[in-house]
Amino acid sequence: MVVGLSAAERRYLTDGIAQGLRNDGRGLYDFRAFSVELAIIPQANGSARVRLGATDVITSVKAELGRPQASRPSQGRVEINIECSSTAAPQFEGRGGEDLSLELSRALYRSLLCNNGTGPAIDLSALTVIEGKLCWNLFIDGLVLSSDGNLLDVLAIAVKAALSNTGIPKVEVTSAAAAEQEADFEISDNPDDFSGFDVSHVPVIITLTKVGRTYIVDATEEEESQMSSAISIAVNSAGHVCGITKRGGAGLDPSVLLDMISVAKEVSKSLLSTVDAEIMAAESRGDDQM
Amino acid sequence: MALEFISPEGLRLDGRRPAEIRQLRANLGVIDKADGSATFEMGNTKVIAAVYGPHEVQNRSQQLLDQALVKCEYSMANFSTGDRRRKQKGDRRSVEISLVIRQSMEAAIMTHLLPRTQIDIFVHVLQADGGTRSACINAASLALADAGIPMRDIVASCASGYLNNTPLLDLNYLEDSGGGPDVTIALLPKLDKITLLQMDAKLPLEMFEKVFELGNKGCVAIANYMRNVLLENTKDLAFARGVVKV
Repeated sequence: MVVGLSAAERRYLTDGIAQGLRNDGRGLYDFRAFSVELAIIPQANGSARVRLGATDVITSVKAELGRPQASRPSQGRVEINIECSSTAAPQFEGRGGEDLSLELSRALYRSLLCNNGTGPAIDLSALTVIEGKLCWNLFIDGLVLSSDGNLLDVLAIAVKAALSNTGIPKVEVTSAAAAEQEADFEISDNPDDFSGFDVSHVPVIITLTKVGRTYIVDATEEEESQMSSAISIAVNSAGHVCGITKRGGAGLDPSVLLDMISVAKEVSKSLLSTVDAEIMAAESRGDDQM
Repeated sequence: MALEFISPEGLRLDGRRPAEIRQLRANLGVIDKADGSATFEMGNTKVIAAVYGPHEVQNRSQQLLDQALVKCEYSMANFSTGDRRRKQKGDRRSVEISLVIRQSMEAAIMTHLLPRTQIDIFVHVLQADGGTRSACINAASLALADAGIPMRDIVASCASGYLNNTPLLDLNYLEDSGGGPDVTIALLPKLDKITLLQMDAKLPLEMFEKVFELGNKGCVAIANYMRNVLLENTKDLAFARGVVKV
């Protein structure tokens, strides 16, 4: 979205950040408050809606049975697709949102699954049903409904929440056929008979946006319009760095980079516990409704 | 054997009576950044609409000197249907629906009051269970009202059909794909003018009259609901600004 800031507003914003205080009263490394809703798409295996400030995203997880790839017979496949709805900004009309959608999808995939699929978030071998023949493929779809900055971090939280909400039906193999034959199987239609996901290893992404000489966490759209570059760092609960993506045009000093990573690690501790608490709260709200 | 759409007791597959609308739910102001926005639910169909504008025309060559330029885009979320399909934006179906939404909204907007401006209407289907174009028109109508764009009347839309020798109101996906006719109507209820009429399959003329009449009544009922939602929203706004005390 084109942010129309006057010279005075720009100055106010950047000077504020230089002095450690932002326009909405937050400190440099403070996240905005966010809310999580679970199971909002009934036809998906799992779904979540996360709202952080005016940023609003929905993610859904759909599981489908398929054949594993020949090169990786004992692994399922995961696809991540993010779509930026034109409701979020008129610029996303037509093909306008495609670049950003692709950038976000790839950055998420890199942080959660790694390019060769050995990433920290999802244990792909747990998706196998019969080695070389049958596995679950997960399709993770994200939709950005409204955008006020920091999309990648919010999407990572939403993917984590949707996975925590995902149930995969139990599959019973009725005949362990010989190697060349198609296997017979039955999908359990008992709604209580499913296996869930352990999401404790799914990392959160923290984007540090460099504005002037300092960098901030959870930038709003106005702040993002003044950034020179940004680094998105995925950190899991063990404190391991799981993926790094640099975004934005300007170059970055290598010495600042290490600083940024340690800040991200620090911020991730409180963020992870808030995310877990929000997911727990959303789960218990869902239980009450049933 | 064909599917029985009406039980011997006279109830439809989802338990409704033939002339009953699904449960309606609407919310205004759901997207902070947009000038106007709304979600609209008809049973399991759920859509979200955002309106940006009136603002400067982006493409100068499209600028109209005597009226506003109205643009509309319809899209479906990947997870909106039962079987997941990756849908490309701008396939023929969405382009057609974008067009009919735009036309029916243009009939309501007082475009002559906003010359040389552009109004963008974006609708996104979050859950599809039949009647998405009706739900989109209703949501767009509410979003336009939320944006404060001058309109002659609100546009309310509803579909009706004819299955098992019975006229049915507000078809869901199963009924929609039941092979019978599907008449989608959009109405300006106060002016009593039709802004959208689409029908497929075939139907005797006498029957069409009945089905059309039923759809019309559905539109009026939906319009009443929408008017109540707008009224409640205005009350909330008036209270928030301290104009009235509750």
